Amino acid sequence: MNDMTLTERAVNATENKITARNVQVYYGESHAIKDVNVDILDKTVTAFIGPSGCGKSTFLRCLNRMNDTIDICRVQGEILLDNEDIYDRRVDPVQLRAKVGMVFQKPNPFPKSIYDNVAYGPKIHGLTRNRAELDEVVEASLRKAALWNEVKDRLTAPGTGLSGGQQQRLCIARAIATSPEVLLMDEPCSALDPIATAQVEELIDELRTNFSVVIVTHSMQQAARVSQKTAFFHLGNLVEYDDTDKIFTNPTDPRTESYITGRIG
Amino acid sequence: MSDATHSAPHKPTSRSLHAVDARTKRRNASESRFKAMGIGAIGIGLAFLVLLLSTIVVNGSSAFQQTFIDVPVYLDPAKIDKKGNRDLADLKKATTFTYAPLIQNGLLDVVQKAGLETDLSKAKELKNLISASAAAQVRDRVLADPSLIGQTIDFKILASSRVDGYLKGRVKRADIAQDKNISVAQLDLTDALRKAGVIHKGFNTAFIFGADASDSRAEQAGIGVSMLGSFYMMLVVLVLALPIGVAASIYLEEFAAKNRFTDLIEVNISNLAAVPSIVFGILGLSVFIQFAHLPQSAPLVGGLVLTLMTLPTIIISTRAALKAVPPSIRDAALGVGASKMQSVFHHVLPLAMPGILTGTIIGLAQALGETAPLLLIGMVGYVATNTPDGFIDGFVSPNSAMPAQIYEWAKRADPAFYERAWGGIIILLVFLLSMNIIAIILRRKFERRW
Repeated sequence: MNDMTLTERAVNATENKITARNVQVYYGESHAIKDVNVDILDKTVTAFIGPSGCGKSTFLRCLNRMNDTIDICRVQGEILLDNEDIYDRRVDPVQLRAKVGMVFQKPNPFPKSIYDNVAYGPKIHGLTRNRAELDEVVEASLRKAALWNEVKDRLTAPGTGLSGGQQQRLCIARAIATSPEVLLMDEPCSALDPIATAQVEELIDELRTNFSVVIVTHSMQQAARVSQKTAFFHLGNLVEYDDTDKIFTNPTDPRTESYITGRIG
Repeated sequence: MSDATHSAPHKPTSRSLHAVDARTKRRNASESRFKAMGIGAIGIGLAFLVLLLSTIVVNGSSAFQQTFIDVPVYLDPAKIDKKGNRDLADLKKATTFTYAPLIQNGLLDVVQKAGLETDLSKAKELKNLISASAAAQVRDRVLADPSLIGQTIDFKILASSRVDGYLKGRVKRADIAQDKNISVAQLDLTDALRKAGVIHKGFNTAFIFGADASDSRAEQAGIGVSMLGSFYMMLVVLVLALPIGVAASIYLEEFAAKNRFTDLIEVNISNLAAVPSIVFGILGLSVFIQFAHLPQSAPLVGGLVLTLMTLPTIIISTRAALKAVPPSIRDAALGVGASKMQSVFHHVLPLAMPGILTGTIIGLAQALGETAPLLLIGMVGYVATNTPDGFIDGFVSPNSAMPAQIYEWAKRADPAFYERAWGGIIILLVFLLSMNIIAIILRRKFERRW
């Protein structure tokens, strides 16, 4: 497989989906994210890379306010989704998360059937009016997640009985079933084998036609393969943010270069 | 590699793997010592368990057997219905004192017809063979169906507790010299009647379903009514403690802010679990009975007290079960836009269910075996003499509970109650055992892998 095929599609969207301005995140006393400014484009895969503990996952979780569940976490600054501040007092995180879906590091399907896993989001958001519509949404989501052919005959089987890669694609199907506008992925392939990883990566590239995808990854090869834009985080700072090609071939900041060449991290 | 390695301070000795060195020997020895101690501890524990269970069975099993006498009783109209009008109000005037001689006469007839040799020639002298409850049994039958008067009806009546004890080996000929409730001649007659098949042992259904009886009628005492008392209390506990306990744990575990105040509550809940149950009893006495004027000795009040006692157990186990649900499930639910409440009730709670159910059943089992608080609110054993009329009455009419009944029997003077106390323990243990089995089945059923 040619690693570069996926990135050949140029960045063809220029519209900002998410705009972060002067974002600071504190865990109690420790300052985890320092003054991050970033513009995430629509219909683009944006990769966050950086060494462990650099704050890339923390920043990702700010984008759908998953950090709200951590008591000691405080977020300052502005994060705009379609020019609306998501940390505004009027914003209900529940509605936000319907718009900004998330896929986690470890596949975490509900201990329910495959069908119920995918149908859960549309059900609680009232996106469908009847069973037939729900069936359609489930099928469409599973097809988009490239899982339909493998599970169409056993939709009532438990989601937890699938293989790791299938589980992760099920989680992706679950996330896209609510028709989000942004899909956040927190190291979605770190628990998967290379074959499953390749499947998920291919899937991410396809998802780009419909969503803005933000992916946190430890693997620089993966970032290079799937993303059009890359942000490099280091010690809570956003060091460099540019087109993926540029980051990997001609980085501006010496820290970026050290990292991608394996000297730090 | 240089030679320097070989001149290290401890000279490497060439050891054979077949020879165990001293250090390894010591390690292995201490390991086998520990294993031996463990096996020893388990062995001692098992031995005591076997001892306990066999004592209970040996002492208690005789409570499930009872001695009966088959007597045809001539229901003499001249005695029972002096006015001869079969009017129920008049029939009720004839007390058990009227009926007792009829039964004694009946038994004397049996003795004489069978041609049994005995020094006892008067009906009155047979009194000690017959339970004091027999007269009431006959009277109830007559009041239920006055048309029987004038006929000779076959009754299966209880033998007195002395006769029962004699058949079970509890009452011995050597010991009855001072006993005014039985004589040697009566025991001789008992032996003869037994041979004739008039006196025989049978399964004691009345012990399982019957009510408690007074001190003088050990043969009649049963645990059935206090079993009902326990049942109604458990209903109260289940209906109150399960929802309140689970709701409180969900709130504390999933919603409440973590601060000093909730820490204080948490510590106090843990402490409450260790508060002696009698404290809950006196609390129930002052709050539910003296302040709220709820009826005394009522299973409703007992249930409320036991609810207070069980709540900490349920809350602690529910919180542990909620904590054990992996956070990834919560993340998954929140990630697709479920609200906190939805994530808890749709995903976390079902996964925590086995733990919650186990905790609840353990709490219930604890409550079922609790005696001390019940004694303080008046649910003492001798209260359990009447079967409640209907469901509602079961909650408010005075009753006892199984452990309080057992305690009551254990402290009574007549040794005939002793076997009943043990028998009661067998029944209580059967209940506890079945509750534990239910807990295991439920846990298996609800358990899911994730």
